[in-house]
Amino acid sequence: MSPSLDAYVLLSAALFAIGFFGVLVRRNTLVIFMCLELMLAAATLALVAFSRFNNTEDGDVFVFFILTVAAAEVAVGLAIIVALFRRKQTIQVDHLDSLKH
Amino acid sequence: MDISHIAALAGGNPWLSIWPEISLGCLALLLLALEILLPPAAHRRIPAVSIIGQLVILCLLLANLPVAEGPVFNGLLLLSSQGQLMRVFFLVTSILVAVLAGETLPKHRVPRVEFHHIALVIAAAMMLLVQSRNFVMLFVALETVTVGLYILVSYFRTSAKSLEAGLKYLVLGSLSSALLLFGIVLLYGVAGNPALAARTDHAMQFSNLALFLSANPHNFLASAGIVLVLAGVAFKVGAFPFQIWIPDVYEGAPTPVTALLAVGSKAAGVVVLLILVTEVFFPYDSLVVPVLSAMAASTILFGNLAALKQHNVKRLIGLSGVSHAGFILLALVSASRVNWAAGAVYFYLFAYLIASFAVFGVMTVLSGPDDADQELGSFAGLGKERPFLAGVLACGLGSLAGIPPLAGFMGKLFVFVAAFKAGHYGLLGVAIAGVVLSIYYYFGWIRTVYFSDEAPVTPPAAGRPVGGLAIRLALALLAAASVALGFYQGPLGAWVSGR
Repeated sequence: MSPSLDAYVLLSAALFAIGFFGVLVRRNTLVIFMCLELMLAAATLALVAFSRFNNTEDGDVFVFFILTVAAAEVAVGLAIIVALFRRKQTIQVDHLDSLKH
Repeated sequence: MDISHIAALAGGNPWLSIWPEISLGCLALLLLALEILLPPAAHRRIPAVSIIGQLVILCLLLANLPVAEGPVFNGLLLLSSQGQLMRVFFLVTSILVAVLAGETLPKHRVPRVEFHHIALVIAAAMMLLVQSRNFVMLFVALETVTVGLYILVSYFRTSAKSLEAGLKYLVLGSLSSALLLFGIVLLYGVAGNPALAARTDHAMQFSNLALFLSANPHNFLASAGIVLVLAGVAFKVGAFPFQIWIPDVYEGAPTPVTALLAVGSKAAGVVVLLILVTEVFFPYDSLVVPVLSAMAASTILFGNLAALKQHNVKRLIGLSGVSHAGFILLALVSASRVNWAAGAVYFYLFAYLIASFAVFGVMTVLSGPDDADQELGSFAGLGKERPFLAGVLACGLGSLAGIPPLAGFMGKLFVFVAAFKAGHYGLLGVAIAGVVLSIYYYFGWIRTVYFSDEAPVTPPAAGRPVGGLAIRLALALLAAASVALGFYQGPLGAWVSGR
């Protein structure tokens, strides 16, 4: 028996929640970044599941755009993290405090 | 495989209807091509090409302002007079950012052409964003703007502050994009459900989604989706409680980028919110209006209270921008009951554009080697040394504070009248208290400029810079426009007041 739509949506909501709280509580920039990607993947999973079970096609097309956007975001994000590491020798959020008033 | 259906769809695409966006994109590519083709000695002329090219597009746009209204590209975009207005808005923003960048970039050892290239792409994406009527189009345009801004915020790549601001904007911006995306997915999923009334195959289309929401006014998943979408967009606007990124990112970003964030990004978010609230989410008014009302009140109060104790002017202008977002949200909330309140939003945005760029322009001219470090104390005695810059600054700040007869006063007046007509008396009280608070810190700044006896914290050897010809011309025009728009609102005012 194949999983129901509810199972897919619950799984994607759980993944989204893990990503969201990961962004809020983790202190390593790279792990935060992975959590952001996890949130996008969760949204993609729900999109594909809805598309399959509701028999609509817009969602499948949207997935390609999300992948492209996520790739652009990663490219820019990793570049910023590398530049920051060269400058400060750390990527821990707690040490990034030059903008405190 | 039969592709005649697709060919028929593509054949009807009126590419000429998006000529301003296409020409901005071509101009952006032209800048990069010029950098490859021209000898290095001629490279410093390339920013001028960007500004002149945009001025030409602006003239053509103003000459062809009336547009055949209606959906194009199978409903992805909607051409409308409001869309034309916002095209002009973003083009003016982009031109002013280019002028400001022409002043800032030469003070730092950074490449210049790429900055103008990315700024042009962002302007084109913002234009598409406010005309999109489909969630796929909206998401792609929004992400084009956001990813471009990640790069621009961290543009001073040798400065730790700029990079840190970029990282903070990246993390929180991606977080908000993910919230928005999940909200879109929930709405799409629930609107395609075969068991519900008025289900639709194309739920990404705003009009189809609005029909579905009208038929199912109390769906839990749809409500969750709406709240997530509102949260994602409110983040771009900088509304409470999604304003946490604003002070740090505004301080660390190069000043022209701060101006682009404060004016362009905020206006794009506000217009998207306006479209969503009035065209798609209106069946859920009982959910949307209380959420936005609470957001408006807390945004106005937080922005003004937090700005009171700032001494870095970039943080101050950022937090005061938060409170301006609150005033615009007040007009947005009223838009469901008073139909000309949308016009008040547009007018407020234009007044805010003119006043903000006057202030950012003066900040750009005066900024020292560390772009993030602009203290209130460094403006002491500006009134005697550079009366022109001080006058423009006073005009801009006065307009932001809402002092009659400047444009900002008329903007606030329209918003308050709209809120009064819509019966939001509590919110109106909060907004008026916010205006009183804001006058305190805006006038603190003006007092430092004109009446402070203290010497500047870092006295420059050869006096303060006066700025190049382009930026002085732009500043004079902005100050004049601030005064003129206060006295005469023209067709914009007639449209706002619904006559």
